[in-house]
Amino acid sequence: MGKPTLYGLDGSPPVRAVKLTLAALQLPYDYTVVNTLKMDQFSEEYLKKNPQHTVPMLEDEGACIWDSHAIMAYLVGKYGKDDSLYPQDLLKRAVVDQRLHFEGGVVFASALRSIATLVFHSKPVPKERIEAIVEVYDFMEAFLQDHSYIAGDQLTIADFSLISSISSALVYVDIEAVKYPKLSAWIKRLEQLPYYGENAKGAEQYAAFIRSKNYTVID
Amino acid sequence: MGKLVLYGVDASPPVRAVKLTLAALQLPYEYTVVNILNKEQYSEAYLKKNPQHTVPLLEDGEALIWDSHAIIAYLVGKYGKDDSLYPKDLLKRAVVDQRLHFEGGVVFANALRSITKYVLFLGKTEVPKERIEAITEAYDFVECFLKDNKYIAGDQLTIADFSLISSISSLVAYIPIEATKYPKLSAWIKRLEQLPYYAENAKGAGEFAAVIKSKKFTIVD
Repeated sequence: MGKPTLYGLDGSPPVRAVKLTLAALQLPYDYTVVNTLKMDQFSEEYLKKNPQHTVPMLEDEGACIWDSHAIMAYLVGKYGKDDSLYPQDLLKRAVVDQRLHFEGGVVFASALRSIATLVFHSKPVPKERIEAIVEVYDFMEAFLQDHSYIAGDQLTIADFSLISSISSALVYVDIEAVKYPKLSAWIKRLEQLPYYGENAKGAEQYAAFIRSKNYTVID
Repeated sequence: MGKLVLYGVDASPPVRAVKLTLAALQLPYEYTVVNILNKEQYSEAYLKKNPQHTVPLLEDGEALIWDSHAIIAYLVGKYGKDDSLYPKDLLKRAVVDQRLHFEGGVVFANALRSITKYVLFLGKTEVPKERIEAITEAYDFVECFLKDNKYIAGDQLTIADFSLISSISSLVAYIPIEATKYPKLSAWIKRLEQLPYYAENAKGAGEFAAVIKSKKFTIVD
């Protein structure tokens, strides 16, 4: 069995969610950098593999899989020693799935990517973009009320998905521990994972890039 | 089997994706209207069930499940006679999952909900042209994904078709789909309209379109 190949770059939150998953599964892989800041994702070769021209993308035994959430679910199903990272139990899975779709829709598409696009193009940021991030933190705090991890008492791929984007949202809006005790504790808990560097390194690159842009928040 | 209760409103696209799935599985259920235009999702009773205050929400006995994609995956897993609507084969499932997440992020959040928020919930009369570009981008991707397949994730009907038709059939209220420009997308829509239970989507899509068309707005640079 050959090694899977991950395409992406460290700054990208969903790429980091997949890197966390690969590390948790202790799965060796090849990494091919696709620099979306340089438009590498629009090369003819890459478009043949992924017509949606996004990162991450996983190539495994000839198959091309994309969308971070689909990749992570596939990896656990195929390579996990057990199902703890993505439970087979239908009710437990439904919670993980809801958290994954929350990450893709509310967190990544609506909150994170929209503000990043404006900052990247040096445009002013309407305050609704900041409010969208605060709303994400409010939801996260609510979801974490009774459990140590985002989908229950066990670590799952939903934690990997959400920490990748939340750790990037931080560069725009701080998370005050007094205001968000559960969210802050959850972040610290995940930072203790032995492989957390798979997210931390790229999150810092992302933050450095955003900080290098001067942007203003407007009414 | 516990009692199935679906909470939502027909105009809502993700509610319709669940209604299509329930019909495909021939599952009886109760329907409780939660009118989001009247902010009913913020009632204390509803927030206890769904702290994200969205529709649809499914109650199965005592279990509470939300997000349309999570609900439809759960329904097929629990009640499907087979796995054709949501294949267990990992590679086939990965394609369906990608289409589902594409619907949630690119189509629903970025294309549909953002413009609808402007026009309907914020009552604005000017819509930035990026909101229109987001819709055509969604159409372009779906056209591309369909390739030579009958359905959005391959040769079989899956929950990804239900998810995407619910939002695509609502986006047309803003921008119609020209058959010459989008032949595969147009053919796919017509194919799904032939489903014997398609009214589970058509009725609410019509209601959604009527609400949007009643609003006056212009596209600005």
